[in-house]
Amino acid sequence: MSRYLVNIWETVSTLIIGLGVTFKHMLHIRRGYVTLQYPEEKWPRPERKIGFDHNDYNVIRSRLHVDIDDCIGCMKCARACPVGCIHITTVKVPKGVDLGTTSNDTKKRLLVTRFDIDMSECMYCNLCTYPCPESCIYMTGGPNSGKHPIDYEFSEYDRSNLIYRFANISPEEVERITTPPAKPETEGVKA
Amino acid sequence: MVLNIGPQHPSTHGVLRLKVKTDGEIVSEITPIIGYLHRCFEKHCENLSYEQVIPYTDRCDYIASMNNNFGYVVAVEEMMGIEVPERVEFIRVIMAELNRIASHLLALGTYGLDIGAFTPFLYMFRDRERILDLLEMTCGARLLYNYMWVGGLSHDLPVGFVEAAYDFLDYFEPKVKEYNDLLTYNKIFIERTADIGVMPAEVAINYGVTGPNLRGSGVAWDLRKAEPYSVYDRFEFNIPVGQGIVGTVGDCWDRYWVRVQEMLESVKIVRQALQQMPSEGDVHAALPKKVRPPKGSIYKRTESPRGDLGYYIISTGKPVPYRVKMRSPAFTALSVLDEIARGWMISDVLAILGSLDIVLGEIDR
Repeated sequence: MSRYLVNIWETVSTLIIGLGVTFKHMLHIRRGYVTLQYPEEKWPRPERKIGFDHNDYNVIRSRLHVDIDDCIGCMKCARACPVGCIHITTVKVPKGVDLGTTSNDTKKRLLVTRFDIDMSECMYCNLCTYPCPESCIYMTGGPNSGKHPIDYEFSEYDRSNLIYRFANISPEEVERITTPPAKPETEGVKA
Repeated sequence: MVLNIGPQHPSTHGVLRLKVKTDGEIVSEITPIIGYLHRCFEKHCENLSYEQVIPYTDRCDYIASMNNNFGYVVAVEEMMGIEVPERVEFIRVIMAELNRIASHLLALGTYGLDIGAFTPFLYMFRDRERILDLLEMTCGARLLYNYMWVGGLSHDLPVGFVEAAYDFLDYFEPKVKEYNDLLTYNKIFIERTADIGVMPAEVAINYGVTGPNLRGSGVAWDLRKAEPYSVYDRFEFNIPVGQGIVGTVGDCWDRYWVRVQEMLESVKIVRQALQQMPSEGDVHAALPKKVRPPKGSIYKRTESPRGDLGYYIISTGKPVPYRVKMRSPAFTALSVLDEIARGWMISDVLAILGSLDIVLGEIDR
């Protein structure tokens, strides 16, 4: 009998203790304390200095981006990718054709005709961004994102839209550049 | 009667099917059927370089990815004989322990959910969120980090991390009392878990169960103390073991309680690590140019939140491992289910399963 009463007492008292916790939270409720009303409010975008110094490196992993003007077609990122979602095709250009230089003053020797990243396959491991000698491939929010807005909403209605094509060079233009010129043509390629 | 639980069932924590043979409402045999989450981790590893395996280890135990990374990089480093800088070791320990807290919070919260307590789940997820924010601040990802590299880290701690971590620890410690009030000492919860699914220490050892499940049975075995790897020998912490406070030693409540206590021990470790961590140091200093371990093999185990996580790596001297075998603690924890759940009711099976804290991503790999 006494066990029976003790059980009832324990049940009621522990329930009241538990309810006390929730009640305290109810009293101290503040708007925006925990829940973020997502479509109306959004997470603040990281405002960190952006640079290659480790303290400045901003590492949100939202989407890969390539500054194709800086790409030299070395394929290091494609080799580093564990899932192989980066597809690069390069074409050798004949002698005398100047493809310009990157922002690191490296001479570009290969014409990048295709630079596709299938973001639906990407596993967001960030491994491709480290070996890049020109630091032109990065997750948005990475070192070069001063040039781009930091964003994180990249959903698409169609899966094919997730294949990002960065090389914006037309086949005609490739043809024009790669045919050995009669006269040395040195106009910069808009790649 | 044969009853099928799963594969799509909220309390199986993943995709697990249990074939339960019952006699009335009493369970006479349980056959776990696994493999629904099989992603060929070990086969993938045979075709990937050593660095590229790391993001795959993330995806095994996706609730405590840092600990998985940790075990793998420690194994490869020992193979190659790399001495990593001290700062790296401390950052790794901090990350692993924070992730352990996050993992235990999820385990406890969903355990309450399995048994019918919804509120603690929300409270625990609120606090887990803060840990995930800390980890996101550090490495940019919330769940699958790929933060630890062979010989170092992908990058250093961000500015302000140490203060944020202290803030979190100060915030978190009093919260444990809140969980205790809400769930641990709740009479209804105790009735559902105390004396249920008792796992005697011999059974646990015979089945190779490790981690909080083994400690819940009263065996003080923790690899962080028993075989200290990294810098774990420099910290003061206790190994909480099940004492049978409300029931028998080794019941569901003990396994639950050990996890609650372990979170406090992890808080202690993180505090000490933050204090002892050298403030300067290049986390890339010991990165090898090429990760190419010499011919040979290694078995290295570390203490993940679920127990004894081992990696067996065979190298033939090529940049690609010949074989990576992962010894998953959750797998052994699942294998003991049949033994300890026999003779209990169907509703107790879910309580026992939840208390084992399995992650199917790690079991199936």
